[in-house]
Amino acid sequence: MSLIVLLLLPFLGSLVTALLPTRARNMLASWAGLVSAGAAAWVISLFPHVRDGGVIREEISWIPSLGLDLVLRVDGFAWMFAGLVTVLGALVSLYSRYYMSPEDPVARFYASFLAFMGAMLGVVLSGNLIQLVLFWELTSLFSFLLIGYWYHREDARRGARMALTITGAGGLALLGGVILLGQIVGSYDLETVLASGDLIRTDPRYPAALVLILLGVFTKSAQFPFHFWLPRAMAAPTPVSAYLHSATMVKAGVFLLARLWPALSGTDLWFWLVGGVGVTTLLIGAYVAMFQNDLKGLLAYSTISHLGLITLLFGLNSPLAAVAGVFHIMNHATFKASLFMAAGIVDHETGTRDIRRLNGLLRAMPITGTLALVASAAMAGVPLLNGFLSKEMFFAETVFLKSRPWIEIGLPAAATLAGIFAVVYSLRFGYDIFFGPPSTDLPREPEEPPRWMRIPVDLLVFACLVVGIIPSMSIGPFLAEAARPVVGGVLPAYSLAVWHGFNAPFIMSLVAVAGGIVGYLILRRYQERGLLLATPLVSRLNSKRMFERTLAWFARLSNKTLRVVGTDRLQPQMFVIIAVALLLGFLASQTVPLVWGDRARLPTSPAFVLLWVTGIVCAIGAAAQAKFHRLVALTLLGGVGLVTCLTFIWFSAPDLALTQLAVEVVTTILFLLGLRWLPMRLETALPRLTWRDRGRRTRDLLLAIGTGSGLAALSYAMLTRPATQSISPFFLSRSLPEGGGANVVNVILVDFRAFDTLGEISVLSAVALTVFALLRRFRPPEESIGETSQQQALHAETDTDLVSPRVARDAGRGYLMVPMVIARMLMPVAVIVAVHLLLRGHNAPGGGFVAGLAIAIAFLIQYLVAGTHWVELRTKLRPARWISLGLLYAAATGLGAVVIGYPFLTTHTPHFTLPLVGEVHIPSATFFDLGVFGVVVGATLLILTALAHQSTRAHRRRTSPPDTSESRGAA
Amino acid sequence: MEALLALVIGVLGGAGVWLVLRPRTFQVILGLALLSYAVNLFIFSMGSLVIDQPPIVKPGVAPTLDQYTDPMPQALVLTAIVIGFATTALFLVLLLASRGLTGTDHVDGKEPS
Amino acid sequence: MTWALPHLLIVPVILPLLSAVIMLLIGSERGRSKSIVNVLATLAGLLVALEILRRVDGSGGSGVIGVYLAANWEAPFGIVLVADRLAALMLVLTGVVSLGAALYSMAGWGRAGVYFHPLFQIQLMGLNGAFLTGDLFNLFVFFEVALAASYGLQLHGSGPTRVRSGLHYLAINLLASSLFLVGLAMIYGVMGTLSMADVAAKLPHVVEADRGLLHAGVAILAVAFLTKAAMWPLNSWLVPAYLSASAPVAALFALMTKLGIYTLLRLWTLLFSADAGPSAHFGGPLFLYGGLATIGFGVLGLMATLKLGRIAGFSIIVSSGTLLAALGFGAVSVTSAALYYLLSSTLAASALFLLVELVERTRNGEPEPLREVDLEPGEDTNLDDDEAPLVGRAIPVSLALLGVAFIACALLVAGLPPLSGFIAKFSIMAAIVSPPGYGAPSVPTSIAWGLFGLLLLSGLVATIGMSRAGIRHFWTEADQPPQIKVAEAVPVLALIIVCVWLTAQAEQVMRYTHATARSLHAPTAYIDAVLSTRPIPGPTRPNIDGGGAP
Repeated sequence: MSLIVLLLLPFLGSLVTALLPTRARNMLASWAGLVSAGAAAWVISLFPHVRDGGVIREEISWIPSLGLDLVLRVDGFAWMFAGLVTVLGALVSLYSRYYMSPEDPVARFYASFLAFMGAMLGVVLSGNLIQLVLFWELTSLFSFLLIGYWYHREDARRGARMALTITGAGGLALLGGVILLGQIVGSYDLETVLASGDLIRTDPRYPAALVLILLGVFTKSAQFPFHFWLPRAMAAPTPVSAYLHSATMVKAGVFLLARLWPALSGTDLWFWLVGGVGVTTLLIGAYVAMFQNDLKGLLAYSTISHLGLITLLFGLNSPLAAVAGVFHIMNHATFKASLFMAAGIVDHETGTRDIRRLNGLLRAMPITGTLALVASAAMAGVPLLNGFLSKEMFFAETVFLKSRPWIEIGLPAAATLAGIFAVVYSLRFGYDIFFGPPSTDLPREPEEPPRWMRIPVDLLVFACLVVGIIPSMSIGPFLAEAARPVVGGVLPAYSLAVWHGFNAPFIMSLVAVAGGIVGYLILRRYQERGLLLATPLVSRLNSKRMFERTLAWFARLSNKTLRVVGTDRLQPQMFVIIAVALLLGFLASQTVPLVWGDRARLPTSPAFVLLWVTGIVCAIGAAAQAKFHRLVALTLLGGVGLVTCLTFIWFSAPDLALTQLAVEVVTTILFLLGLRWLPMRLETALPRLTWRDRGRRTRDLLLAIGTGSGLAALSYAMLTRPATQSISPFFLSRSLPEGGGANVVNVILVDFRAFDTLGEISVLSAVALTVFALLRRFRPPEESIGETSQQQALHAETDTDLVSPRVARDAGRGYLMVPMVIARMLMPVAVIVAVHLLLRGHNAPGGGFVAGLAIAIAFLIQYLVAGTHWVELRTKLRPARWISLGLLYAAATGLGAVVIGYPFLTTHTPHFTLPLVGEVHIPSATFFDLGVFGVVVGATLLILTALAHQSTRAHRRRTSPPDTSESRGAA
Repeated sequence: MEALLALVIGVLGGAGVWLVLRPRTFQVILGLALLSYAVNLFIFSMGSLVIDQPPIVKPGVAPTLDQYTDPMPQALVLTAIVIGFATTALFLVLLLASRGLTGTDHVDGKEPS
Repeated sequence: MTWALPHLLIVPVILPLLSAVIMLLIGSERGRSKSIVNVLATLAGLLVALEILRRVDGSGGSGVIGVYLAANWEAPFGIVLVADRLAALMLVLTGVVSLGAALYSMAGWGRAGVYFHPLFQIQLMGLNGAFLTGDLFNLFVFFEVALAASYGLQLHGSGPTRVRSGLHYLAINLLASSLFLVGLAMIYGVMGTLSMADVAAKLPHVVEADRGLLHAGVAILAVAFLTKAAMWPLNSWLVPAYLSASAPVAALFALMTKLGIYTLLRLWTLLFSADAGPSAHFGGPLFLYGGLATIGFGVLGLMATLKLGRIAGFSIIVSSGTLLAALGFGAVSVTSAALYYLLSSTLAASALFLLVELVERTRNGEPEPLREVDLEPGEDTNLDDDEAPLVGRAIPVSLALLGVAFIACALLVAGLPPLSGFIAKFSIMAAIVSPPGYGAPSVPTSIAWGLFGLLLLSGLVATIGMSRAGIRHFWTEADQPPQIKVAEAVPVLALIIVCVWLTAQAEQVMRYTHATARSLHAPTAYIDAVLSTRPIPGPTRPNIDGGGAP
């Protein structure tokens, strides 16, 4: 059956688990165990295929164009790892059935557990490097979830985060390195990469790629200086530690070392980096382990040291060492997993993991104790146990290494020293807690664990013994198959005998054991006297603290920097945008030096000059007055508007003039309605200008001047350059015959570019709706609610004609009588004017927009003179309805063309003769204009009435609760 | 004439920029209004200045740019005016709402400390 | 070219408009029916977009470019709608995201204020129009349509924070619009035309004296687009505006920055392609360096916050930076990868925005200061002090679902495996360091490496930020399991599922994006298609050769 099924099996299992009831731990455990056991059996059954360098390979096409296909590939090495992952998985899921407490909602645990197993399988079975990275990161993710399983504990959260950050970062580095590797080789396929070792090693990008990849390896395998996440990860439930942090995940790093060994190893850089880091980690890990008081802490550091040992072996650039490395991977997995489980049992039975409190447990739990002792002996490298064999090979390698003299001396010494340390911490683990007077103050009365909880330990320790006693018969063939692909197909000569004669490695082992025992006794003496409880020397150099400090520092730094390079204030943002525009515009205009054109200038007319002198004065005045004299500024702004309007007339743009005029009126009324709500600002209450203010103002002034001159320069250059090609003649020539209108501008708006106009009225509608929605929630500021001082001056009931227009039902009395009469007479006139403008728009200045504004203004005048109440009692304006109908109308006109088979908005000008009138032709564009008209009327009125209502509402607010006049302006 | 119009555009633009950079919402809205005048004139000036030749076709006049001013920029300016009107109105209402909700007319909704 | 459905191209613009009108006519009280109309209209829009995509992609790789003459006037005189691969892609993306937002808003979001649904549709009209149009000024108009609606949506629900950030958002966009107009006017002044294709066709033959003016105009135009595309230092407005917007609106806004990106991509590949004479590749370096700076800015932001909403906002900034930088390469392979990235990151961002709202419900109260989060606890916390057997907390189902969705979003945003975010990042990185010729000879290798590193760094920082925020929201005693409506959960999951689909079908999608990139960098086909389309003869158009194209 296909490998992909094998790979998917754990994931599917995880999905099912997530659906099972969360506390049914028997069901969950047996399901998880079933899945992993099945996978294990499957993997083991594959062995015949990978014998003698056989390879199973499956490809599923995914993204060939990126060279990323799913390639599942099993050779001896992958097989060995897959076996490790699945078999231990089965044992651990059995173990955790008894470890986890009955109340624990273990569904989440088993789900992540199985998913992790799948990810790990994915890593080891990958035949494509990108795919490997993919599963690599997945293992980080699931280990994060597993470490954080007891997330109600601070240390669990922190441990999980730290592990994720470190290994995640490593994974990203790995991705970078792998991409480089792929660029060098030209493919991400594992076999191709392994085959092109020389090409890689000679490529200039090799160092970069190597460093990045090694970053991934070292973080994952907890190598110095990234080792610190592993002890923190001990906050995870012990089964997780036994599985992830001894046997599988932390091995992924060294797995990759071995996997890429043929492609990357063999250079000095490799030797120094891998070997150097390996030996450092070996020593530091072992050293720190000796001083741990937490059982799991001790095991964690010893794991670090053993991983260092493996790394070192692969770093030595010798095939034999690589074989030893592979061998030690297996051995370490077996004894370390069993030790973790044993520690878990102790913790589970006694309720503490503190070595200082645990003593003489052998009496209470003899069997577990014996197993733990054997396993720790294996960890210490005692003969007749598997740990001994691989350690011997390691010693041998260090001794027979050919390199610089100081290394040839130093390395064996370091190895022996590490051996001594190993013996010491093994003794602390074994002897301290199982011998001596039984401790009395334990939280729980220790006893043997349930039988099935111990089974996994039994099996693992049994394996240690078997391998240790009859290696070549038991593990021999498997080791051969596992190591062959690592060393590139040709196995070096090695023998798996227990006894190699009385040689250097053996002496080193003896020294290690003897020295270890002595060291242990000394250490114990000291600790009984209360000394050396914390780790001496290196406790200063605490990379975990450094890491967290760095993270905090980085967070603070980025906070600070962010406040410099970003802002939440408006003014700096506006400044930057304008400045950037000015700068870029200037730079770009320099690609060809800017020159004035030589087109014939128009003669300057004094009247026009005068006109604009006024205009300029108005503009500058408005700029100066806007802060303290809003009304003045507003008037001046109006002045500018009028001058602009006249300019349009002057330069033959009647339509623009008309529109500008109408817009001016409406805008000004809007402003006037709004002014009332702004806070009073008195020039007298002005704080002195600080130098910073002055500086800011000068800066802004400079920018303003710069922008102004830039604009002026550009427009002058444009105005004076000879007119080149333009599409306009087309409009002039087609307007009448085909557009059916003489007013080209209008024809452009409703025909040539009618699509623009459609968008334009949509903008208008959207804005009007927004304004209305916004004003519904409008809360006038307290101090502006009351009547103005003039109004407050007189009593409400005094019968003067100076009535407050806000309380009067009909304001059109008293001094407003005359304007009122005029205004009401104005209404029909305005309507006629509007209709006229609308209809003639196509041939003469005018059009739907102006007409709409005219009507709107007419209504406004009624509002202003007679007051809101009066108008709304008599007329039912429904601006929203106007808007929607207008839009509908415009769109419908456009769709009319579609109905008769022409593109959207195509216009037609049917000609027909009426009696008396004679021949008329009504372009459909006029109907479109009608839609525009509707929208403009609706939008303008919606905005203005919504604003007008505020005053009435604010007034009412003092007497009755607000919001009674909701949505008066609209449907 | 050209120089004058260019100057005018510059002044309007400059005044607008100055106001847009001020801290009070009312100043900003006036600035935006002035800017839109400047921009409209700028667009308009792309069509080059022509006197007494409105783009309203008369019979018997050759439909060329020598006889009529360029209608295109005018059409663009018309659309720009409308959109400018709408957005100005929105900004006005928004500044009123901001004033009402935050109690200040500072653009950042809070007085500078 | 011939279209079986000649008027298909106008539908994405007209459909939203009409549905907005209908909803206005329905009246203010019947909120339920309006939201249903809204969803149906959006769904229809998505289907139309898919159909357009299918036709544009054509049979057998050879893309077909759909051209529609609005008002039956040929380019460059009238306004044309052009659907090429890129436009179709953006339409579909808009359809998917907006459908998600519309579904989400069914859960009573429309009630926070009036006219939510009509504005929603008008926003869609603006986006679709901007993606389709082939005319510069029409582009401006549709930008304004989209913006006008977005103002309303951003303010939807009112409140001081919304109004404050809304004021900034409005002011900045008005400024940008003025810049837009100035640049536009100058292009018209120099080229005498507004049709993009026509400009592109005439650009190589511009009088040398005018080139400076033209470039100035284009540069000013660029500032407008870069502001909308959130390039540093023009992007401080983004996070507050998106943060204060209601969830469905924020999700929709994830498209707005992409509109800026789209415009830059469209115009720059069209106008300044390799065969644009002296102006070829004008502005490339700006995008490159600006993009790098923007990524840096985004990274700072991600590192500096614990608030999920801000994280989402800054992730948008990071993706904008990545896209800008990729655009700066001006190489087919990079552009293709960037397009895939655009799809993935946009979907992820909008899913995240929808999710944030739901997650924040579980937890109220301000985040503790970062320092405390990052500093270590006391020693020996590893020894389990409470010597009782440890018991994990059960996670309520709703929260568990959220958690899974959150993890998915985190993976997508950070570009971690196995989802499309990873594929996207990987393909960009592979493309930028691949040997010249296939890659971009125009870009110095140091810059390429810088981007390479920044992409890795941004991934890492996103991971840190996401895990911090996730722990804060999910690994705490949830006060009460969040109440989540189906209408809110479905769109989030749907968006994520689309990303999963992107991952599974990456090959097909990339084939499409690659074809898109190739046609973008060889714009002649586009230009010819636009300029060669003739109007339909009719009563008002006696002679259709009509003065001919210039």
